[in-house]
Amino acid sequence: MIAGLRKPTEGTVRILGLDPFTDRAQVRQLLGVQLQQAYLHGSLTARELVNLYRSFYPHPLEAEQALEMVELSEKANTRFDDLSGGQMQRLSIALALIGRPQVVILDELTTGLDPKARRRIWATIESLAEQTVILVSHAMDEVERLCDRVALIDAGRIIAQGTPAQLRQQAGVETLVDAFVGLTGREWDHDEEDD
Amino acid sequence: MSTIVEARRPGAYAWLKLIEAEAKMVIRDTAGLIVPLGMPLLILVMQGISIEDAGQEVAEGVTVLSAYVVPIIVTMVISMTAVINMPSFLATYRKTKLLRRLAVTPASPAMVLIAQMVVSLVQILLGVAVALTAAFLFFEANLPQAPWAALATLGVCCAAMYGVGMIVASIAPTPNSSVAIGLVAFFGMAALGGMFGGTQNLPETLEQIGSWLPFGAAVEAFQSAWLGESVDLQNWLVPIGWALLGGGVAAALFRWE
Repeated sequence: MIAGLRKPTEGTVRILGLDPFTDRAQVRQLLGVQLQQAYLHGSLTARELVNLYRSFYPHPLEAEQALEMVELSEKANTRFDDLSGGQMQRLSIALALIGRPQVVILDELTTGLDPKARRRIWATIESLAEQTVILVSHAMDEVERLCDRVALIDAGRIIAQGTPAQLRQQAGVETLVDAFVGLTGREWDHDEEDD
Repeated sequence: MSTIVEARRPGAYAWLKLIEAEAKMVIRDTAGLIVPLGMPLLILVMQGISIEDAGQEVAEGVTVLSAYVVPIIVTMVISMTAVINMPSFLATYRKTKLLRRLAVTPASPAMVLIAQMVVSLVQILLGVAVALTAAFLFFEANLPQAPWAALATLGVCCAAMYGVGMIVASIAPTPNSSVAIGLVAFFGMAALGGMFGGTQNLPETLEQIGSWLPFGAAVEAFQSAWLGESVDLQNWLVPIGWALLGGGVAAALFRWE
């Protein structure tokens, strides 16, 4: 909904004070999005894809800078189809950041990646200083490490929000997973999908 | 308070990069080029070899091959590219959520559709050029007696076949089904449009149906252009009608994701 892909059934959505639907063109310039599941032109190389997405924005990052930021400079000439899962995710992050957005949405950033790949992506996110990052994740260790503020969503509703420490304190537990269990009253299920 | 930013659509450079990207996708999918470029050429050679009087003139300066085979080959190139190849790319992009990914950038998924059409048009022109060159070099084919009518027919035939291609892309749920539906549509239209023999050999009902399909109409229009005759009004209206129908169906049914 924030990205303007799905209309809300009730209520309003504003991003930087703009409506994602009526102010679509403006929002697209200010927002960078990495979708949970999205493929790119498979036969194009990482550099070609970065250059393609650069062309959509008025003041994009340099291609080399974007690739370097996600440690893909050495894979610049590798086709998207030939990248590993972690490399594809890092390229997706580079494309989300290529237009110098003010707000970045990263959806299930490290799902299915090995621990090493997850840490590299975490480091990339931690290095972002200029953007507001909205991280959508079921991985509570990831949330705990990367997020300043957390909104716990259960069955489509925000049931609690605050800093990770505040949520732990509110639930009287030591981890965010336990906080989720305590605040929702049900067991943690890693496989559940919740848009 | 809202952020003030000028609403800016991607410009000419973005269009060029997207067309370049689509072109690279098509070129690097080498197998996908064989059908629209190779198969019409193969059929041209087979027909050129098997028709004994291919070089005989049916009108002044127009050989049998030019009047009856070349129009079918040109229509084949157009329809195979627009009805089989283009929809399969769009169905793949939809399946893999590539169009959804573009929808969250300043570029519109519609830009991909148009870029894919531009690249398909280049493929068509290339395929037609290859087929005509082979026909001129090896089978003594002639240029159309009415070149402007031939060019206009090329234009309306492309529009009609894109229309059919968009119908295929709109109703096909997966890339594989897109190829299957595209093949059935192509062979259905082609069989009723004279690809496997003169339409006069078909039962009357099928012959009538074929004349209202874009393949048959385009072949007849090309034949008229090659013979220097005026193109029958129905052969203009049928492809234009299919182009409009395809556009309407696509507007109603085409899903970006």
